[in-house]
Formats: sequence, C-alpha cells, structure tokens
Amino acid sequence: MRVDLEDLVFSRGSFTLRGSGTFGAGVHLVSGPVGSGKSTLALLLAELLRPGTGAVRRHDVLSALLLLQFPEHHITCPTVAEEVRSWGLAPDDVLLRADLLRRGDDDPFHLSRGELRRLTLACAVMRNPDLLMLDEPFSSLDCVAKREACRMIEGRGAGITIIFSHERAVLPRVDAVWEMEDGALTARGSVPDAIPSWRHAPPYLAYALREGARPENIRLSDAREALCRTRG
Amino acid sequence: MQDPRLRLLAAAFLSLAAFASTAGAVATLVWWLFFTPRTKALPRPGVLLSLVAMIAATALLSAWGGGPGLSYLIRMTALLLLATWVYAETAEGEVLGVAVWALGNRVGFEIGLIAEMGLTDLAVIRQEIEQMRVAMALKGIRPGVRSIVPLAVTLIVTQIRRADEIARLLMVRGYTIGGRICPRFEADPRDVLASIMAVIPVLLSTLPLRDVFILVG
Repeated sequence: MRVDLEDLVFSRGSFTLRGSGTFGAGVHLVSGPVGSGKSTLALLLAELLRPGTGAVRRHDVLSALLLLQFPEHHITCPTVAEEVRSWGLAPDDVLLRADLLRRGDDDPFHLSRGELRRLTLACAVMRNPDLLMLDEPFSSLDCVAKREACRMIEGRGAGITIIFSHERAVLPRVDAVWEMEDGALTARGSVPDAIPSWRHAPPYLAYALREGARPENIRLSDAREALCRTRG
Repeated sequence: MQDPRLRLLAAAFLSLAAFASTAGAVATLVWWLFFTPRTKALPRPGVLLSLVAMIAATALLSAWGGGPGLSYLIRMTALLLLATWVYAETAEGEVLGVAVWALGNRVGFEIGLIAEMGLTDLAVIRQEIEQMRVAMALKGIRPGVRSIVPLAVTLIVTQIRRADEIARLLMVRGYTIGGRICPRFEADPRDVLASIMAVIPVLLSTLPLRDVFILVG
C-alpha cells in the first residue's frame, strides 16, 4: 500500500506547489509554516484538486479520507448524532471517544471548534480508511485533547496516515517527516534519521539535538528520554 | 454597463417588461443579446442548467394543466438571464452607493446595506454548498433526495447564525442607523444608449400594440 507523487505541480495565482515522493504505510508528518502549501497538498492527495502536471497515484489503497482543516466544513446534518451517522458510524461509540456523551441531540454548530475537531477526528479515525489525511488535526485543541488526538492517530493499526500540521508542541509518534516550504515538498526521511535535518523541528527536539541527544521519535517524551540517557 | 445606477434602472425596467408579457420578455431577450456580455455573464453550466430545468419543469406542469406554460418559460428565462447579468456585473459596494445616491445617508444607507448583505450572502451560500458537496463526497454520501432535507436545514441554520454574527459585529462596532458615504459613478456613453433601449421592452409590454398597429394602418 502506497501513494506516489509523480513530479506534482499545481499553480494558483503566484503560488506554485511542487512535490515528488512516496507515502508508504505508517504515519507521515508534513510540517511547515502557515501558508506553505500543506492544505493544498492535502487536497491534491485527496483528489479534490487536480494537479497542473504530474500525478498522484494510489497503489492498493481501497479507501481514502481527508479530514478538512476547518471541522465545520464537514457538517451536513442538523444534530451531532445524525452527523456521526452520516459518517456511517454508530453515535454512541464515537461520542464516547470524542468525550461528547449526552451531546447527541445538540446542533453541531453549538459545539466549540475544539469539540467539533474532536468529533470529526474520532469519526475519521473510526472509519479507518486505508489512506487517512489529517489537515491540521491539532488546531483548536487544548493540550489534553491534543494528546488524546495523538493517541487516536498512533492507535491506527495499519494503513497510511498523513498529518499536515504546523504544530510544534504536541506531536504523535511518526514514521517519516516531510517538510513544506514556499510550496516545495521535501522528504526528510524516516524517523529517527530524519530528525537532525528537520528544519521546522519543535524547540524541544532542537534543544535535545544541541545537547547531543538522539531522540528515537519526535514526541516531547522522546526528547526527554534521549536527554536523560545522555545525562545518565 | 459601468454605471450601476443605469444598470439597476435598466434591470428594473426590463424585469417589469419580462414579467408583464411574453412580448416584453422576448424584447428583453433581444436587449440582453445586444447590451450584455451574454455567455460571459452566465454562471457555471451546472448551476444555469439546474435553474433552467426547474423553470422548464414548472412550465411543463403549467402547460399540462392548461396554463400558459410557454409564456412562463420565456418570461422566467428572460428574468433569469437578466438576474445573472446584474449579479455578475455588480461589484461590492455598488448597490450601497446607488441606494445612498437615491435615498440619502439614512434610509438609503439602511436599504443599501441590507441589499449588500444579501448579495454577499449569495456568494457565501454558493461557497457553503460547495463545501457540503465536498463533505458529502468525503463521507461517501451520494447527493440525492434523502440528503436534500438535512443539507437544506444545515444551510438555513448556518445562514441564521451568520446573520446573527453580523448583527452582533455591527452592534460591537457601534452601528445604530444610517451612515455616510460619498458614492462616485463612472458612466459610459453606451450605458445611456442601453438604458434608453431598455424602455422599449416596457413600452411593448404595457402599450396596447394592436391599437397602435390599427392607428398606423
């Protein structure tokens, strides 16, 4: 199971996105500053945008799902429970996982953006597609909810998960790191080898590297463990 | 047409003519062919075709029931083309400018502001329908009769919420009633000609033509 980007070029106005590479099974993080083209790449991978040249080719991917940057854009039903059903899921399980029990009869627009993000993330993860693309899954979430979101993502057993995020504080365990800068996609490679060359690495990872530590992954706990090992 | 005052005036004349009689609607269609960018002012084919299909279905039903189906089809098509032209040509703030020019900074501003909000919302609704279409595609829901009701409810709720938010925003910014703007308009000589010609369909739809021809004969 893999997704190939073959010399992808997409232009809109003065902005041009370019990218090549292969997303294999596992969790991929596409990081980069706001406005660098992450959401555009997500829409291209989800085949909601067509590239000018090049192609996105899916191999052995039977189902794909993109979690949009703004969770309210997913809403198609007037109640939270109906909204969950519209994803083809049972409301009770999803509401429990999203910590929204007893909110089933509420208008989804009455949920805060953070609650709505938890709801859509739970729906997307529980649909369990072969290819799951998450555009800014941590935005609008508090630290506790971000950690829970990370657990949900890490809990996905198989398939390809691609996270598009500028988050630099709470991150899940990932298998590969990519960077997007001014529309150019760069593969940094597999983790942990990719960490030293990651330009937008979180400050705690940069600190750990400066101190001579070699974190196993990109989470804060990985940096902390690596520092502990270094310092004995 | 560059001058929004003449554009809206012409649109009002032509709407009246197209609504009043089939002859007026045909004359309006001829005017549309001569004085608008025609196909360049039309919406996407999918949107236009769905609107025409709705009009055609109503016309068919009317004709089936012994009503003036063909006349309805011609008149409503003329109105639709007129509406899409005015919508495509009207820039942000123009309606507010015309309303203030015509009715002053108090009543005119109020009416103009409401009209501007309505026009802006049309674009927002179009965007939201597109977002819902994407959301449905992502969820694997095929658009159909069963999905129309929840979508319509969600769209209405979204619009009510948006109206409420805008009202709060105006209040927070200290808006009470009226406002002061100095609208400026640029007119093209062709605008005047087009406006004068827009009177012809009105005459055709309101004057008793048979009597005119008898007089001439």
